[in-house]
Amino acid sequence: MSGQYHRSHRWAWFFERPGYMRFMLREVTSFFVAGYLVLLLVTLGRLGGGEAAFVEWLASVSGPWWMTAHLVALAAAIWHAVTWFGAVPQAMPIYVGENRLPAPIAAIVMGYGPWLTVTAVIVWWVLR
Amino acid sequence: MADKDTMTLEVFRYHPETDSEPRFQSYEVPYNEDWVVLDAINWVKDHVDGSLTHRWSCRMGVCGSCGMMVNGEPKLTCAAFLKDYYPFPIKVEPLVNFAVERDLVVAMDGFMEKLQDVKPYIIRDDVNDTSDGEYRQSPAELAQYKQYSMCINCMLCYAACPVAGHEDDFLGPAALALGHRYNKDSRDQGQAERLDVMLAGEAIWGCTFVGECTVVCPKHVDPAGAIQQAKAMAAQEYFKGFVMPKGTGVAKGAAK
Repeated sequence: MSGQYHRSHRWAWFFERPGYMRFMLREVTSFFVAGYLVLLLVTLGRLGGGEAAFVEWLASVSGPWWMTAHLVALAAAIWHAVTWFGAVPQAMPIYVGENRLPAPIAAIVMGYGPWLTVTAVIVWWVLR
Repeated sequence: MADKDTMTLEVFRYHPETDSEPRFQSYEVPYNEDWVVLDAINWVKDHVDGSLTHRWSCRMGVCGSCGMMVNGEPKLTCAAFLKDYYPFPIKVEPLVNFAVERDLVVAMDGFMEKLQDVKPYIIRDDVNDTSDGEYRQSPAELAQYKQYSMCINCMLCYAACPVAGHEDDFLGPAALALGHRYNKDSRDQGQAERLDVMLAGEAIWGCTFVGECTVVCPKHVDPAGAIQQAKAMAAQEYFKGFVMPKGTGVAKGAAK
């Protein structure tokens, strides 16, 4: 229909609402998670090169700047995981009869519970 | 700033016959703490400027007609109280992500087409005679979709969705939530028909789960959750298609 007014697309839409910014922040954490995955793969590769190569690699990713990078990546990964577990009950509701399991409990059942279990098994396997 | 008994309403005005661009017009409206923004707009139309155009009907959060941007937030203006903004000016605009017909009225054609696309009604392969009685449903089966049946088509979710503003093929939160509502209804047999529409191109996959549709929904429908569940349902059907290629009825190419 003629005469309608079309407002222009807003390129900076992600600044318009706190929820948009939280969404973009979460998306950005993916880069840190992916980057750290590459770092771990390189570390595994160096492990295959023998003890000397591995020790040299570990030394090269130490120091204050690397520690800062590790901590930032850890914070990004935790934020990514926590927001993911927060979203899971919305995407995968659990019903007990006609009652839906409350979101915090569903997040524990489907997210935090398995996460802590797997972490505990890995810690036990490493320290045994 | 307005004096004690009035407030300033800054209203988006656009008349296609005379305006090439929209403009904002300020009105001083009486401040009454029982009033909602819709009351103030109606007061302007009744007492100051009869050419001001807006949609409204029930004034009780049921009809879904009076959705507008109030200070940049998608709101039902019948549920946005002046006292929550007093004494500061209130800026009222038509819902974003829609073309503007006139003043505060947006074009609903695209939304109505998307709504029809998802076939928001019960589809049956067999239709029982009324003498056979009603299609029975247990409370547990009702609980599966009841939340998604509360949608009043107010379109606030479209105004809150950044994807709806950028991706024309995206069916959008309300239409997808209603499609999911019928897919989850135990009396319905039209899931395959609906999923064919919902899974084509960006129709559902355009959703990136920003989640603001759920935040602004005045009826607590949770369209974001419904869309993610529909995606999961689609993925299940897609993989079922490999196990029983003739069994699911959902086009294999539809799921990404």
